[in-house]
Amino acid sequence: MTRKLLPALVVAAVALALYPAYGTGYGIRAMLQIFMWVALAGSWNLISGLTGYVSFGHVAFFGTGAYTGAILIATHGWAWPPAALAGGVAAGLLALVIGWPCLRLKGPYFAIAMLGLNEVLRALVSYFEGLTGGGNGLSLPTLYASVQIYYAMGALAAAVVAATSLIVTSRFGLRLMTIREDEVAAEAMGIDTFRHKLLAFLLSAIGPGIAGALTARDQGYIEPLSVFPLAITVTMIVMALFGGKGTVWGPVLGAVVLFVAQEIVWARYPYVHPLLFGAIIVAVVLAMPRGVLGLLQVMYRLPRTI
Amino acid sequence: MTITPTMLGQVVVSGVLAGSLYAMVALGLALIFGVMRVINIAHGPLLMLGAYTTFFLWAGLGLNPFLTVPLAMIVLFVIGALLQRTLVFRVVDAPELSSLLLTFGISIAIVNLAQLAFTSDLRAVEYITGAWVLGGLAFSKSRVIAFLFAAGVTALAFLVLQRTRLGKAIRATSQSREVAMVCGIDVGRIHLLTFGLASALAAAGGSLLAVIVAIQPEMGQVWTFKSFLVIVLGGAGNYPGALLGGLLLGLVEQLAALVLTTQLSEVVAYVLLVAVLLVRPTGLLGGRQT
Repeated sequence: MTRKLLPALVVAAVALALYPAYGTGYGIRAMLQIFMWVALAGSWNLISGLTGYVSFGHVAFFGTGAYTGAILIATHGWAWPPAALAGGVAAGLLALVIGWPCLRLKGPYFAIAMLGLNEVLRALVSYFEGLTGGGNGLSLPTLYASVQIYYAMGALAAAVVAATSLIVTSRFGLRLMTIREDEVAAEAMGIDTFRHKLLAFLLSAIGPGIAGALTARDQGYIEPLSVFPLAITVTMIVMALFGGKGTVWGPVLGAVVLFVAQEIVWARYPYVHPLLFGAIIVAVVLAMPRGVLGLLQVMYRLPRTI
Repeated sequence: MTITPTMLGQVVVSGVLAGSLYAMVALGLALIFGVMRVINIAHGPLLMLGAYTTFFLWAGLGLNPFLTVPLAMIVLFVIGALLQRTLVFRVVDAPELSSLLLTFGISIAIVNLAQLAFTSDLRAVEYITGAWVLGGLAFSKSRVIAFLFAAGVTALAFLVLQRTRLGKAIRATSQSREVAMVCGIDVGRIHLLTFGLASALAAAGGSLLAVIVAIQPEMGQVWTFKSFLVIVLGGAGNYPGALLGGLLLGLVEQLAALVLTTQLSEVVAYVLLVAVLLVRPTGLLGGRQT
C-alpha cells in the first residue's frame, strides 16, 4: 500500500523541501512544529500503539534530549547536528534504564513509572545546577539556523514514519502487536516479550530525544519547565490516539489536524486546551478506539499497514 | 553532619504522621485496582477536589476544617460514583490501555476544570499551626490531628471491608468477579460503590492536606504516583499491604530529607519504586490476599 502512495509521498517531500525558499517566517516555523509533533506522536505510537504499553511520560525523553544537546552545545562547543544525535542517544539510554525494571513485568507498572519520571527528571535538573543551570535555565550561543533545523526536523519526522512503516510490515512488528493483543499467548508462542518491548521502547525514545535537542537549538534557551511539561506528553498522546494508534499514518494525520485546529481555532481559548484534550482522549477511547484512520480503514477497507 | 538519635526519632515521628495519609489515600487506589483491575490515574485529582471542598466550606461557611472531612468524603463519593456510572464502567473489561488512557483523560479534564473554576492561586486553610514538643521531638499539631483522622477513617474502611456484607461483597468481587456474580452479588453495584468509596478516601486525604499544605489544582497528580508506589510496596491487591507501604514511604521520604535534601524526595520515591520492581515486584507482603 505504501508503494502505491509513493508518488504522492515524493511530491509532498519535494514540496516540503522547496517550501523554505518561498514560505514566510511564520509558515516555516509552523511546519517545523508540525514536523516535531509528527516525530513525537509517531514515536509514542511505536511503544504504546504497537505494544499497548502506555507511556505517560514521553516528554521525559524530549527533555533529556534537550538538556543533553544544550549542554553539549553551550558548554562543550559541539556543533548542533552531532549534539542532536547525542540527545537521541541519551534518551535511548534513559529508556533502557527505565525499561529494564519496568518492562519485565506485565500490567500497569510501566505506565505509572512513566507517570512519575517527568517530575523526577525535573527535580534532578533543578538540583544539579552546576551542569544544567538549574531553575535559571541554559542559554545557547546565538545562531540563525532555522532553515537547517527545519530540514533536520523534517528528516526526523520522515525517519519516524519510515521506521514505523518498516516495523508494522515486519515480523518484529507482528510480534509487538501480538504482545498488545495477548501477551501470555505471545509468550506461549515463544516470543521473548521483554526484549521486544524493550527494543520498541528504545526506538520510541530516540526520536523525542533528537527532537528535544533540535528544539533546544532552535529556541536558544531552555529551562526545566519549558522542556518537561506534562502538556507535551498529553499532546502527543492525543495526536496519536485521534489519528489512530497502531497505524503508520494515524499519528501524522493526528499531528497535522490537531496542530492546524490548535493554531486556527483554539489559539483564542488557551485556557481550555487541557480540558479539550482530556475530552478528546475520553471520547476516542470510548467511541472510536482505533482513531480516525482506523475508522477509515474499516469504512473503505484500507489495508492495516497504512 | 552527624545524625543524632533525636534526629532519627524525629524521622520516625514525621514519617509515621505523613505515612498515615499515604496509606489512607493509597487504600482507595488499591480498592479500585483490586475490584476492577483499573488503575485510576484521576485518583490524585479527586484528592485535590477534596482539598478544595474543605477550603470552600472553611472560607465560605466558616466551618471547622476538620469537621468538613466527612462532608468532603460525601461530595467525592457522589462524584466518584458518577464517574464510574457514566465513563469508567465502559472500560472495566477493556484492555488495560483503555482504562489507563480514559482515567488519564479524566484527570487532565478535572485539573483544567479546577484551574478554570478556582484559579491557579495557592490557597491555604490557616487553622492550626505550631507544634507540640515532647522529649525533644516536634509533633506538628495539624499533622497529628490529620494522623488521628486518617487512622480513624482507615480503621473504619477496614471495618467495613472485614465486617459488613458490603465489605464481604467487595472482597469477593476482587477475588473473582465470576464467582461473586454466581453467588448473587450485583457486581456492577459493587463497582459503583467501590469507586465512590475510593474517591471518598482520596477526598479525606485532600481534606486533611488542606490544613497542612497550600492547595492548588495541580497538587493531586503526584499523589496518583505516590499512591501507586504505596500499593506496589505493599503488594498490589493486598489491602493491609497498603498500610505498611504507606508508613514505609513516609519513613523513607523523611529519612531521605534528613540525609540528602528535601529537593530530592521525589527522586528517592522513584528510585524506591524501581528498586522494588526489580527485586520484589509482588510487594513486601506478596500477592493478592484480601
